[in-house]
Amino acid sequence: MGLTFLQGIISIIVIMALAPLFAGMVNKQKAILTGRIGAPVLQPYYELIRLFKKETINAGTSSFISRISPLINLVSMIVAAAMLPVGFWKPIISFNGDIILFAYILGLARFFQILAAMDIGSSFEGMGAAREATFALFAEPIFFFTIGSISFISGYNSLFDIYHSIQLNNVSYEVFIIVCSISVFMLAVTECSRMPVDDPNTHLELTMIHEVMILDNSGIDLFLYQYSSYIKLFIYALLEISFFYPFSQKSNSVGILIFITGSVALTFVLGIVETITSRYRMKNIPQYLLFATAIGILNLLIYTFTK
Amino acid sequence: MNDLADPGYSLFIVAFAIQLLAIVFLSIRNERTALFSSSIVLVIGLILGLISTFSSALFSSVEIPGRTFFSNWIRLDGLSIYFIFIIQLVAIPTTVSGISYLNHYIDQKRSVKSFFIFYIILLISTQFVVIANQTIFFLVSWEVMSMSAYLAMILEREKEEVQRGSFYYFAASHVLIFILYIMFFLLHHQTGSWYFSDYHLSFSSGIVVPLIFILSLIGFGIKAGFIPFHFWLPQAHPIAPTVLSAFLSGVIIKMGIYGIFRTFLFLKPVPEWCGWLLLIVGMISAIFGVWYALAQHDIKRLLAYHSVENIGIIGIGIGIGFIGSANNLSSVQVLGFGGALLHTLNHAIFKSLLFIGSGVIYRNLGIRNIELMGGLIHRAKYIALFFLAGSVAISGIPPFNGFISEFIVYTGFFKTANELKNYYPILMLMFVVGLAFVGGLAVGCFTKVNSVIFLGSERREVKRFHSSIYDYVSLGFLSLLCILIGFYPQPFVGVVNKVISSGFLNGNSSSALINIDWHYFTLIFSSLAIGIILLYLLKLKLEKKYGRRTSAAWGCGYENLTPRMQYSASSFADELNTIPKTILVYQKEVEISDSPYPVSSGFESHSKDFVDYKIVLPLFNFLRSLAARIGFLSQTDIRYYIAFILIIISIYGLIAFLWV
Repeated sequence: MGLTFLQGIISIIVIMALAPLFAGMVNKQKAILTGRIGAPVLQPYYELIRLFKKETINAGTSSFISRISPLINLVSMIVAAAMLPVGFWKPIISFNGDIILFAYILGLARFFQILAAMDIGSSFEGMGAAREATFALFAEPIFFFTIGSISFISGYNSLFDIYHSIQLNNVSYEVFIIVCSISVFMLAVTECSRMPVDDPNTHLELTMIHEVMILDNSGIDLFLYQYSSYIKLFIYALLEISFFYPFSQKSNSVGILIFITGSVALTFVLGIVETITSRYRMKNIPQYLLFATAIGILNLLIYTFTK
Repeated sequence: MNDLADPGYSLFIVAFAIQLLAIVFLSIRNERTALFSSSIVLVIGLILGLISTFSSALFSSVEIPGRTFFSNWIRLDGLSIYFIFIIQLVAIPTTVSGISYLNHYIDQKRSVKSFFIFYIILLISTQFVVIANQTIFFLVSWEVMSMSAYLAMILEREKEEVQRGSFYYFAASHVLIFILYIMFFLLHHQTGSWYFSDYHLSFSSGIVVPLIFILSLIGFGIKAGFIPFHFWLPQAHPIAPTVLSAFLSGVIIKMGIYGIFRTFLFLKPVPEWCGWLLLIVGMISAIFGVWYALAQHDIKRLLAYHSVENIGIIGIGIGIGFIGSANNLSSVQVLGFGGALLHTLNHAIFKSLLFIGSGVIYRNLGIRNIELMGGLIHRAKYIALFFLAGSVAISGIPPFNGFISEFIVYTGFFKTANELKNYYPILMLMFVVGLAFVGGLAVGCFTKVNSVIFLGSERREVKRFHSSIYDYVSLGFLSLLCILIGFYPQPFVGVVNKVISSGFLNGNSSSALINIDWHYFTLIFSSLAIGIILLYLLKLKLEKKYGRRTSAAWGCGYENLTPRMQYSASSFADELNTIPKTILVYQKEVEISDSPYPVSSGFESHSKDFVDYKIVLPLFNFLRSLAARIGFLSQTDIRYYIAFILIIISIYGLIAFLWV
């Protein structure tokens, strides 16, 4: 109990500490690939520290919703992060059915983020909120068709056990897992508002989803939002990296090695994807998401009939 | 009378007597005093009833005896006590909120005494429905319940929409009662008894038992509001006085669920197709219920459609339970029925909360169209907070109670897949995805409702917003229950588990429900709450240090933002509503002129109910045209009718003669 608990605490601290670094690395990769020098890798930390010391400005029409929403966002991200395995360590929150809690805790964050956006009473935020609600709806099935299907096949319903159960001893299962990881990647891109669904770097209101929702926030509120979006990106990165744990012969040191190399490799992949794709038109995003869902369904059906 | 020796039981009788006594207080001449004293007496009666329910076996550690009273007419088994608990629990806050809500009718010089009499009769007859053990007693209570609800519903009977909506309810109730007559006639025919406790049939024999099952599903399904029998809900709920709609949506439609459970107890174990039928009907109700809700602008109609969604989720739970029953798996049964029963309680709590909240808004603004509201959070902070609690709970978001029951249903899916293997994992996964999709739609719907009603700035100026102590008490009580069940579900889960153990299972009892790691939820949710509070304190400190001010919202450089420029409910939901356009009968009317100068233009969007618009109305129009064709038979002279009667009688006589 004692050691597992300690490991769980360390995992969550690692996630919280390294999340901005991951985002910084992705941006750096992207800058290099497009021929720029780019901001330093530690830039997200600098920005967070800067925001920390800024004055908070609330919109005149806003209410207590926009005051509490950033807090709820960050805390629920941390709780969600506490369910994910880092290396081969058992996460601090791990029980039967935590996969449902994971999905719904992220839903809690989203619920309040949408409300906070609508709280401003400006059409820009409204636009972002409506888009978030719509796209999140299509993103939900992808999560359950990938992680959920592994769970139903293995018979486990705790995230740690689900990833633990993946074993590469059967070709059709291997293919199944690989395709699942692709679907999860597409999901991660959507949920973390990266290209080709959303562009985290533009600041033109009409084209954004996540950025436009936090348009009227500043100071500590923006700090909380930014930090939770970094953690969210890292959470989805971990969901993706965890697919590679079966290679590690189930030892802790190799698990940690995979965690590190996996994260770095993923920043490369994200950087490349963001460089070679452009953002889709808003109209086409549901199609993109339904495509990912369709991959999930097909993959599941193929696996069921070939195993 | 040995029965009266039992203190819990005599308290039960006293509670009913006091509730009936409330009618007497309505004879006070002054409307306000009459209403107030009658409500207080009614609430006292209900609280006494709740105390006697709490002292019953369901809430203690002893086994539920399932005793019968009054020469078998009344029976208190686990299911009855559980439902009577729900009725009393919800009736207390709705009655309390009624004190302030009905006063607003008195302000308009409208008498509410007749409404309140029917309301009291409704409360009592609903309690009779769930404790009845005798078929005729059950049917009479059922009919009194339906009709008193109808009579209470037509308080504003001069309005056309009230006539229309209440007629839907009236017609649906009557179709329903005929189906129930046939069903109970068949039950009596098969068993030769009039008592529920004697009804034990098994599916193995003949066509009659499946017929009984289907009839119960249709009959009770109309009451519960499963798609495609839901069409009366969105018509009747908006026009009823809000006190009544809260009770209708919170409790009365649950009587349909009670009926389905009761039929299950008659027919158990059921074959597997029953489970699949309920799963599919439930899933369709859940998805389209919430999708219709998303397209509505009328707050009460929206909430009515949300009831369809939640009834769907309850149906899904019952379906899993049926599959467990068919395969003799106690653990699956416990999880499926447990999810359904707990969701019944949860939905009763948050739906009455939301309806009472909408009543406070309607009372002050006089409108139900959410497109004209906005910014109410600045006027009524606490009402907004309570409404928000209800919204989060109904969307199934942790840490509130809706999540707990949905979690049990999810666990039921996992358990079914694990126990039955084969092709079950894939099928169950489809339902998991469906339920997750419903959750996503509900989030979209309730963020829309909350933000358009409460957030931003007022789209239409509100002159005065008054909320009374009664509103705070009833809403606060219900919100607390939402939080309590969310944070500490063990006792409620224990009660539900006990209900199921007393007669639902055909095998050994299973601890699958109580063995879910509930303490994790308490732990996680408390740390979530503590984390938020600590962070809030930190935030306050930082804001003190580095400053905080308010300023105008960013308008892209444009300074004169008006409330009308805010994102509206239809624009928020437009993208989602366009997807199932045909089923939602979703229409947009846009008026844009080609003139190069700015002229006035308009936009309107509405959705009609597919079943109502494409099936029910055409069917009745067809019947009407058919009736018109034989209209020539309708004469003013009575002698024609006598001739018709004679002809018919002679035809019957001839048939009877030939038959013998």
